[in-house]
Amino acid sequence: MEYNILDSVDLTDVSNFKSFTDRYFSKRYILNVGGKENNDIMLMFHSNRITLLSLAPSHFFFKKNCDYKINFNVHNIDRLSNTVKGKGKKGGQMLNPKSVICKIEYDDGANFDVPCGMKGTLIEINEELIKDPQLLKSEPDSTGFIAIILSSIAISDSMKNELLTHEEYLKSLKL
Amino acid sequence: MEIDQNNIFKLCKELGCCDACCLRYLGLKNPSAYENTKDVVTKYAVQETAIKSSDLEDSKDSKTLEDIKKNILEDINIESDINGDSCKSPPSKKRKIEPCVTCLGILQEETWADSFEMVKEVLEKKRYACNTFACALSAPMATILRERVVALHLEKSISHYDANALTPLKEAWKWSFGTKLATHIGKILDSGAVSPLLITLNIDYLDDLQELEALKTIAATLFESRSQQRKRFSTEFTRRVVEQALEDVTLEMIQAASESCCLPQITAPAKCVSVVCTHTPMYLGGRYIKLSRELPQTPWILGGRRVMPSSVQEIIFQPLAEFYGMSAAEAERRLKLVAAGREDVDVRCLGDGRPFAIEITDPQRQLTSEELAQACKVISSGGEVIVKELVPIVKEDLALLKKGEESKTKTYHALCIKLSHSELDEVDPDSPVTVTDADLERINSYRNTKEGDEAKIEITQKTPIRVLHRRPLLTRTRHLIELHAEKVPGHAQLLYVRVRTSAGTYVKEWAHGELRRTRPALPDLLRARTDLLALDVAAVHLHWPNAHFPTQ
Repeated sequence: MEYNILDSVDLTDVSNFKSFTDRYFSKRYILNVGGKENNDIMLMFHSNRITLLSLAPSHFFFKKNCDYKINFNVHNIDRLSNTVKGKGKKGGQMLNPKSVICKIEYDDGANFDVPCGMKGTLIEINEELIKDPQLLKSEPDSTGFIAIILSSIAISDSMKNELLTHEEYLKSLKL
Repeated sequence: MEIDQNNIFKLCKELGCCDACCLRYLGLKNPSAYENTKDVVTKYAVQETAIKSSDLEDSKDSKTLEDIKKNILEDINIESDINGDSCKSPPSKKRKIEPCVTCLGILQEETWADSFEMVKEVLEKKRYACNTFACALSAPMATILRERVVALHLEKSISHYDANALTPLKEAWKWSFGTKLATHIGKILDSGAVSPLLITLNIDYLDDLQELEALKTIAATLFESRSQQRKRFSTEFTRRVVEQALEDVTLEMIQAASESCCLPQITAPAKCVSVVCTHTPMYLGGRYIKLSRELPQTPWILGGRRVMPSSVQEIIFQPLAEFYGMSAAEAERRLKLVAAGREDVDVRCLGDGRPFAIEITDPQRQLTSEELAQACKVISSGGEVIVKELVPIVKEDLALLKKGEESKTKTYHALCIKLSHSELDEVDPDSPVTVTDADLERINSYRNTKEGDEAKIEITQKTPIRVLHRRPLLTRTRHLIELHAEKVPGHAQLLYVRVRTSAGTYVKEWAHGELRRTRPALPDLLRARTDLLALDVAAVHLHWPNAHFPTQ
């Protein structure tokens, strides 16, 4: 090959290779949502005002060992019937910080709501979670994300400024 | 029934038409007649003398043949006056012509000297190599009104006169003015459909809008409805609306609306105020190789600031702009890059390169093959972009580029990394992750289409998150026509992947699966986490810039 692809990249740091979400998103955290301890969510902001909703690693969900289902039909709104049309994503469900995206229902009868944490339009629910709910537990910051939300640049930027950064989040966990 | 041609000529003259306009009303469509109107009109004028000498002896009419002859003589005198003057001096006061009542002087040779100078000045600045030209006239709107008034007079006085036979002002002007202009600028006059060089003269008339005022009385309802919809019709008079207003007009209506019957005294003939010369665009075709992972195809500007210092476009434009003597700002306006798709900033484009074309707006000339070769040399000298050949192409060729964008397949070389053990392998979870023979087999033998299908793999891709903010959310079906993976010697975790895809496939997303939004992707084939380290376009499968390329 005339221009070897191997020579065109720096391979010295392959061991510290950043994951897809770490490369393209900035992680922000909201802790104890609704006054509930460790009800912690993570928002991953892409520079283009697309945001992914996930559970933060410190969420109490990860400590509990019990089978669960994910219910996307909450308060008479079916999140799975969400559709968006065209470039402007018309018709997507409107979300505010308290909007519930889904409910985690344990086999022991307990359950909790996952709030979306920000104002925006629901673009997509991660349908892989329906086929494989375990992803929520095994890959929370990648294939186990919950939803894709689109907000305005203003909201996206101010949220990024206001919320806990990854470093601040790690610090707060040590306290 | 024979129409009395001499009478038409006579009446036109009485109304104050110039020779050329008389011929227009006679319906003459013979271009050469307008090249030398003075000779042609003698035919009508001389025959008229016989009639006139008996018939009009004691006529008190404003114009007689003697007057006309006198006018012509004066004109000739004026011509010699102008020639005697230094050529740049303003039109002298003593130069008085009787401006034609219909064309406002546009067809009268005596008014042309300044126009010739203005055209010459523009051409000297622009220096077109093209030896033919077409000319276009932007005439005052008052000529439409005046033309109609004279026609109405003719229709009234001469039985069976057909105003539709009138030779359009623009045509008569091309045949008369255009022919003379050709000798002044040393180019051959041709039709606009043939010559790429168009010379447009904008001719203004001082009293233009004032004279059109009468139309508001003649077609009151039309103008009232227009003024009510001011948002839709921002200008009061347009050529279209003037013609509309005159559609069913009669001489009586005009007489009622205007004291001078819409033919008021002309204070000053219409005058050429600007000349615009444009050459139809020229096109160059070529292919570019991009060797940098920090070079966008077009300037990348975010919030008014540059993200990357250069671009493929700017590197290709630079020598061309120089040959055409364009400044950087001018080049941005007059050069346009049309490429068969685009690669991401961090993706190289190798092999024979990506097909592209350049549109050159208002070019002075075609570059020589030596200059084009030199341009390729300059482009390639920076080391980031290589263009081996630039060839002149025609506009119709561009369709192939655009069509190619939708239908062409592309081959990519991807350097990928395996980030976890395959779920299919029973291995010590703490052992280092390596690309195994089984992995290669999983990739190279994978097929989810029918045996015999051109494509090996059919995938579905949701609109990638990185472009989701500006594109609709869709799930698209795409195809991988070829797929081949190899180990990378000395790098156990890495693999080379060669993949040929249908147009519009997002290869980066296929390499890591994009949170499973592309399926089946490379991680699905290996049942392991994978990602992309580097991507090159190895081939854009499109014959460009001609059918014989690429040769192999």
